[in-house]
Amino acid sequence: MSDPESEIVVDEVVRGAERLLRASPRPLRRIVVRSGAASVELEWPSAPAATAQEDESVPAEDTTSVLYVRAPMVGTFYHAPEPGADPFVRLGDLIECGLQVGVLEAMKIMNPVEANVAGRVAEVLVPDGTQVEYEQPLLAIEPAST
Amino acid sequence: MFDTVLIANRGEIALRVARTCREMGIRSVAVCSTADLGSAVTRVVDEVVCIGPPAPRRSYLNVSAIIEAARRTGAQAVHPGYGFLSEDPDFAEVCAAEGLTFIGPSPEIMARLGDKARARATMAEAGLPVLPGGEHPPEDAAEAKEAADAIGYPVILKAVAGGGGRGMKVVRDPRDLIRAFHETRAAARAVFGDGRLYLERYVESARHVEVQVLLDDLGGGVHLGERDCSVQRRHQKLMEETPAPGLDPGLTTHICEAAVKAAAAVGFTGAGTFEFLVDGTDFFFMEVNCRIQVEHPVTEAVTGIDLIQKQIRVAAGLPLGLSQDDVVPAGHAIECRVNTEAPERGFAPTAGTLTDFRPPGGPFTRVDTHGHTGMTITPDYDSLLAKVITWGEDREAALARMDRALGEFVVEGHGVRTTTGLLRDVLREPAFRAARHDTMLLARMLGET
Repeated sequence: MSDPESEIVVDEVVRGAERLLRASPRPLRRIVVRSGAASVELEWPSAPAATAQEDESVPAEDTTSVLYVRAPMVGTFYHAPEPGADPFVRLGDLIECGLQVGVLEAMKIMNPVEANVAGRVAEVLVPDGTQVEYEQPLLAIEPAST
Repeated sequence: MFDTVLIANRGEIALRVARTCREMGIRSVAVCSTADLGSAVTRVVDEVVCIGPPAPRRSYLNVSAIIEAARRTGAQAVHPGYGFLSEDPDFAEVCAAEGLTFIGPSPEIMARLGDKARARATMAEAGLPVLPGGEHPPEDAAEAKEAADAIGYPVILKAVAGGGGRGMKVVRDPRDLIRAFHETRAAARAVFGDGRLYLERYVESARHVEVQVLLDDLGGGVHLGERDCSVQRRHQKLMEETPAPGLDPGLTTHICEAAVKAAAAVGFTGAGTFEFLVDGTDFFFMEVNCRIQVEHPVTEAVTGIDLIQKQIRVAAGLPLGLSQDDVVPAGHAIECRVNTEAPERGFAPTAGTLTDFRPPGGPFTRVDTHGHTGMTITPDYDSLLAKVITWGEDREAALARMDRALGEFVVEGHGVRTTTGLLRDVLREPAFRAARHDTMLLARMLGET
């Protein structure tokens, strides 16, 4: 049942399944992972090759469309390190992966938000001091032209 | 009364809480992981906050994310459901520090009763009978052996921090004790982060009988009768019913009264369950669950009392509004847990997308489920898909109705299996029908003894 300790066991087992999935050179039909009383079984109706084909048929311009820096957790998003200070990034700035673009305050702890995409800041999507949810887009980024 | 309640859970229980909130005119907020975006509960609440990825540790067990979600939505109270953070006194304490009402007992009571060894000592002091056992957790294997020899075999080793039927080991042969102690301690340390164990005499064939209690902050308190949860596999309940069949009503009334008296004696408030083993005419306290339980609907079916509504009222500081005379159980109710597990493969959880999902209906039939056609069952969470509850004027009528209801239940999806067939087998088992069963029934049926 959803008691914390079985969640933890299930969690571990799921991660084991994920590792198996990544480690496999070929698409898998079935994975069974067991840990003590907990076990997880995954089965696919057919080899997942079809989805790869669909991905390829996606129009080419989609890969160059806008990317997003998203909230890594629930909290309050701040543009600047402290009130009145300059913001970490401004509209039009060229940013790189790993650059700090803001701060997320959760339970009075300031967590840096780093860009996981590179490009030009096309839009700041949430005002300073906004409470955001997990994976909420914060900045729209135009990928740098190569 | 609260204006907004945040539901810190998922699945059927989140939906269950949201429905009562709606009926009480309270705004409700669901939190969800990315795996549960668009889930049943998210469609009935007033607001949804995505709090993290599928892994429970980063979403439903993520205290900071839940507190921030409460702040963002203006919630004044948090309903923890069962599992996840529902029995975590630290979470209850953080809620209080952040000005949120945790819908449950006080953190002090949760800490005292959540520690199984302390709960045992506390309840023995409050007058409940306990099985012969050690006074405190043994320091090492040698001390455990000494204690076990004094108690007499078989003994059961239990994790002090255990719960949900995990972290236990029965030892029948004194020669196995040392090894069992080391194994169980290592498992308890890994799973609960606390390797302390305690020992008790183990009762081979007994009934698992639990008592639902409700107490308010103003001195009011009642019991809502008992539930028999003897149909279990490896301490995991599959079916629950009320009243406990085949037991002397005088005995069960005595157990219920003893439970509510002990609850009042230790200052317990809110909804709680006192679990007992019943062996013939003897009963022994096992543990207290300081939260709503999966099987609460059978109690609701016979008493007509909405337990979630009472939890919320009591948490808001209102009187229970019930005296023991107001609790008049009528008829018989039974619950079956339909899990997405494959009994023929050692109850392995199965995952997949439901291509057809048609729950039963009809007279005196309740189905609590978050399932729907098109829903994908992911391996991130437990396998409870639906609870089917039937009521009848007597046990026979309730069982016949349950068999009818389970027969109507359609759950289809590639790779998805359910426990429905096994549940129907239990309904037909002569020992179960005659109420001569005990906690070993399923093990015998499955040849696991």
